[in-house]
Amino acid sequence: MAAERIAIKDGLFAGSLERLDEVHLAGSRCGACEETSLGVTSSCSNCGDENLSPVVLGDAGTLYTYTVVRHRPPGNYQGPADFKPFGLGLVEIDNVIRVMAPLSTDPERLQIGMQLKFHPYVLRTNEKGEEVIAFTYDAAGE
Amino acid sequence: MVGDVYIIGAGMHSFGRFDKSYEQIGSEAAALALKDAGVQWRDIQSAFMARMYLPATSGPRILRKLGSTDISIIDVEAACASGGAALRQAVLAIKSGDVDLALVCGTEKMPRGFMDPSMIYSPWQVELGISQNPSYWAMRAMRHMHEYGTTEEQIAKVAYKNHKNSVHNPHAMYQKEFSMEQILGSTLVCDPIRLLEICAPNDGAAAVIVASEKKMRQLGAKGIRIAGISHSISRYSSDFRCPAESMSARIDNAGPTEVTARRVYEAAGIGVEDVDCFEVQDTDAFCEIELYEELGLCPVGEGGRLIDGGEVEIGGKTPVNMSGGLISKGEPIGASHLGQVVELVEQLRGNCGPRQVKGAKVALAHVLGAGGNCAITILSR
Repeated sequence: MAAERIAIKDGLFAGSLERLDEVHLAGSRCGACEETSLGVTSSCSNCGDENLSPVVLGDAGTLYTYTVVRHRPPGNYQGPADFKPFGLGLVEIDNVIRVMAPLSTDPERLQIGMQLKFHPYVLRTNEKGEEVIAFTYDAAGE
Repeated sequence: MVGDVYIIGAGMHSFGRFDKSYEQIGSEAAALALKDAGVQWRDIQSAFMARMYLPATSGPRILRKLGSTDISIIDVEAACASGGAALRQAVLAIKSGDVDLALVCGTEKMPRGFMDPSMIYSPWQVELGISQNPSYWAMRAMRHMHEYGTTEEQIAKVAYKNHKNSVHNPHAMYQKEFSMEQILGSTLVCDPIRLLEICAPNDGAAAVIVASEKKMRQLGAKGIRIAGISHSISRYSSDFRCPAESMSARIDNAGPTEVTARRVYEAAGIGVEDVDCFEVQDTDAFCEIELYEELGLCPVGEGGRLIDGGEVEIGGKTPVNMSGGLISKGEPIGASHLGQVVELVEQLRGNCGPRQVKGAKVALAHVLGAGGNCAITILSR
């Protein structure tokens, strides 16, 4: 039997975690101001209104800005034990939201404006034996 | 109606790394400020302690070393703007008529290296490594370079200037000049920001004594007037400072520095052209370039060209970070704004020796950090 799966953050994803090719980022669109907040939330992060509708964010993104993390991040970082520098960027989706996200592309190839694709993956197995699902962005077409 | 509020005493413990408790570091700064003002601890009617990485009731623990009185002592936390938020509380307490003599102190003692991310970020951000403070500031630099053509060399020039200024500041951690080659050759931390372009968390404390105009006259003290003080948090989609998870792609609100500056210029009844010198949040060298624009020293996109022109050097038209800035002093978070204020009090008194801005009459201190916490204080003699 396959392991149970959970999202790294409650409400971050839409779709069944059993099938990663059907998982997408979730959003919440405000009925009052029409802004979209990341994930399933109970109130709009712009105006505080509670009349929100769940939306599924597109998998395609555009890199708005980025940096390269050159040293192992502090604290409970769950990346590879043998640290490798990685990109971190603001990824613009559907012309409505820019999401802060790790980037899996070779850091030397990152460029503002490049096309990216959402990529959910199993980050680790937790103490209950559940697989924890996280996300990154790959260069489109990779 | 209570009149203006004045700083009648200022003192600081150097910023650096010390084999001393935070209680010792903080109480030394408080004692120096009291001595400078010529008042006793038992005369103080209310006290505010800015700190972020210290335990609960740090204020009473630090100030108990001066004697145990029964006044209100409150710890204040607003990330990098903690000192500004604390000073504002003291100004409000005096303006309300509740007290007429207060002490404001900022104290911090922090471990070496990247800051503990659990203080600022959600656990999932830490797991994915979206939790290194410089990365957020670096992404702003990348975007600015893309939009306005700002260069790595212009960013390095800010670090060059600030390290050079610090040679004359006995309270700075490094007090060492670095060449442009050394700065541009130092290791990348988060592209495009390098090690010699970034501030380090460390230990330190700074304190001021604030008084009502009436109290100042009673004491026969000569004060520096607090012409304006403001604190704010970034509003929706105005700033992607840590620990932001996302931003709107549809709304681009004015950032916290721009908003706070507008408020404080209005409160002081002045414009940026009336300010003689500045101490600002150079968490990294790029940040200072962005602040030239947001404080109104130059149009948006022109920050890189402003550093090229030399106007922000001591002796230039609008000197910035005469003390060496946080890049050379380090950033003991709770103490950083009050450290800037102590520097500016000494500038306005004309006590700064080789780093003195000649004839300075109006000065501005600015801090900015996590959550878009921003505080600005304008001082006038």
